[in-house]
Amino acid sequence: MNSMHSVWAKRFEHYIGEIMKYMRFVFTGHIAIVFVFIIGAGGYQYSEWLKVVQNNFPAEWLVAILVGCLLTLSRPTTLLKEPDQVYLLPLESQMPQYFKKAKNWTFWSQLLVPAVVYIVMIPLLKEVTELTTKQIWLGVLFVAILKFINVRSEFAFRYVNRGQAILMDRFVRAIVSILAIQTVLTDGVFAIVFLIMLVYYVVTLHKKMKNQPVPYEHFINLEQNRMLSFYRFANYFTEVPHLKGSIKRRAWLDIAYKWIPYKKENTQAYLVFRTFIRTDDHFYLWLRLTAISAVIAMFVNIPFVTWIVAGALAFATTLQLKYALLSAGEFRMDMLYPIPRETRKQAVTKLVRLLAMKQAIIVTICAIMQPQFFIIPLVIILVSELTIRLSK
Amino acid sequence: MTILHVQNVTGGYTRKPVIQDLSFEMNKGELVGLIGLNGAGKSTTIKHIIGTLLPRAGEIRLNGVTLKENMDQYRTSFTYIPETPVLYEELTLKEHLELTAMAYGLDEKTLAERSEVLLKEFRMEKRLNWFPSHFSKGMRQKVMIMCAFLVNPSLYIIDEPFVGLDPLGIQSLLDQMDAKKRAGAAILMSTHILSTAEKHCDRIILLHEGRVRAQGTMDDLRKAFQMPAATLDDLYIAMTKEQDNEQHA
Repeated sequence: MNSMHSVWAKRFEHYIGEIMKYMRFVFTGHIAIVFVFIIGAGGYQYSEWLKVVQNNFPAEWLVAILVGCLLTLSRPTTLLKEPDQVYLLPLESQMPQYFKKAKNWTFWSQLLVPAVVYIVMIPLLKEVTELTTKQIWLGVLFVAILKFINVRSEFAFRYVNRGQAILMDRFVRAIVSILAIQTVLTDGVFAIVFLIMLVYYVVTLHKKMKNQPVPYEHFINLEQNRMLSFYRFANYFTEVPHLKGSIKRRAWLDIAYKWIPYKKENTQAYLVFRTFIRTDDHFYLWLRLTAISAVIAMFVNIPFVTWIVAGALAFATTLQLKYALLSAGEFRMDMLYPIPRETRKQAVTKLVRLLAMKQAIIVTICAIMQPQFFIIPLVIILVSELTIRLSK
Repeated sequence: MTILHVQNVTGGYTRKPVIQDLSFEMNKGELVGLIGLNGAGKSTTIKHIIGTLLPRAGEIRLNGVTLKENMDQYRTSFTYIPETPVLYEELTLKEHLELTAMAYGLDEKTLAERSEVLLKEFRMEKRLNWFPSHFSKGMRQKVMIMCAFLVNPSLYIIDEPFVGLDPLGIQSLLDQMDAKKRAGAAILMSTHILSTAEKHCDRIILLHEGRVRAQGTMDDLRKAFQMPAATLDDLYIAMTKEQDNEQHA
């Protein structure tokens, strides 16, 4: 029994370490600042809106639907790994111990989102409804209870059906959860009825789980997808080493390849242009930084600030793309090609220069209503060129 | 005529050499099998020939030049099919062929002619616009094979070619190898599948612990081990046992 607990504890420690490692970059990255602005602006708009909101606004329904849907999304975090389906097989009878820990973590880690949304809605409920403060805070407790049941029932449903038809399960739970919250905010006591329905649902599912083997394949799949989306997210802020960038054709950009005629000297350019356009990591990096630069150029009307921002972002774009495309970690076939080694660097320089030009054009168009907008493209191209030449 | 000349080559990744004082030659129209246990030094030998590792001692001449003397000529003289397919995830099958043709200086007409034949041979005509992520292990292997045969070099270096290929694919590869051999190319093939090696190779190089233990035709090897009528499997096992006895003696 102890062994299962220590397996969980070890994995949990590693998992938290991994999350912390990357979250550090997320909170210090440029997008974090954008988020702070968005939240600030959103909060301000919300408080302004509260001053004018009509008394007949259906706040209970809005809260119920928002929170109810969030409650329903209770994907279990099991931290199972691929080799488990072989090595943990002899321990099948002890797995419930492990899953108990997993369900507890799932509950605590996911409770925050619906709870925060509910708490953000409290000023609205106070404004529009006649609920007492006590009633409103009882609602938070109720949300927690619903979350607890939802986590257990999604886990059991996935276990019993090995991941099939999960949308059905979510739909049923969403309806009942929404009605439960709506009732607790209006009729109070009757909400118990919906709670009992959900408990009955979970108990039935748990009975079905009894004689079923652990659906390792499904849970491992789920786990891999979850970690992959986390790494993808983290990859926006820093480089995640073991993440293979995803590839998309982006056929509408095929026209760009026309600039590279079929010639031996163009071998590396042929490759590098396609690598940039089709690798999500590279392509979206450029798009994101260009978009931020463009938005700031459009809305900030202090020329000096826009120049600094445009210059900083041109520097970041150029440097990151250059490093990404020149990194020579793994063996690639072009390392054997009978072409001079410098051609790779020349091709990357050509591409990065071209991208700086495109960035300059886009940002300038967005800044066209600003005073002295014509300085911006000069800044971008100058900074980019210096970065190309001075970086290793 | 000698195409590849490996002379007293010693080398490896770290200070401790993996291959020691390795010497052998390959001539026009020859298929040579490089045979050895895991860790015998097959891959390291190949890495030295393709130039991703440089020898600490000795030299490797391909069509008369070393990599240092004339990199362009050296690299144009061979193509390489690695054990695990190395593809560009962002390029389609068609683009892999195009890129290879560009790098080796083929004109577009030659590219079209040769790739048509290869695509048909390996039954990949309908996959031209597919990305590698949609390919099975065998198909990935076929992409590598087609790129290598597209170029028509004087030396082919093929590392463990049969693993992952279906029987039809194996047959197509053997046919291609045979055709190139007859046209005068040399082929160096490393493999564990001894029965196939025995059947198709003109000569065998037996590597053991980084050294050439024996080399020659099957008859030469049988004489060296004094085992008439032995198969390559028998010879191989005899070789490893002999080594064990020496060590225990």
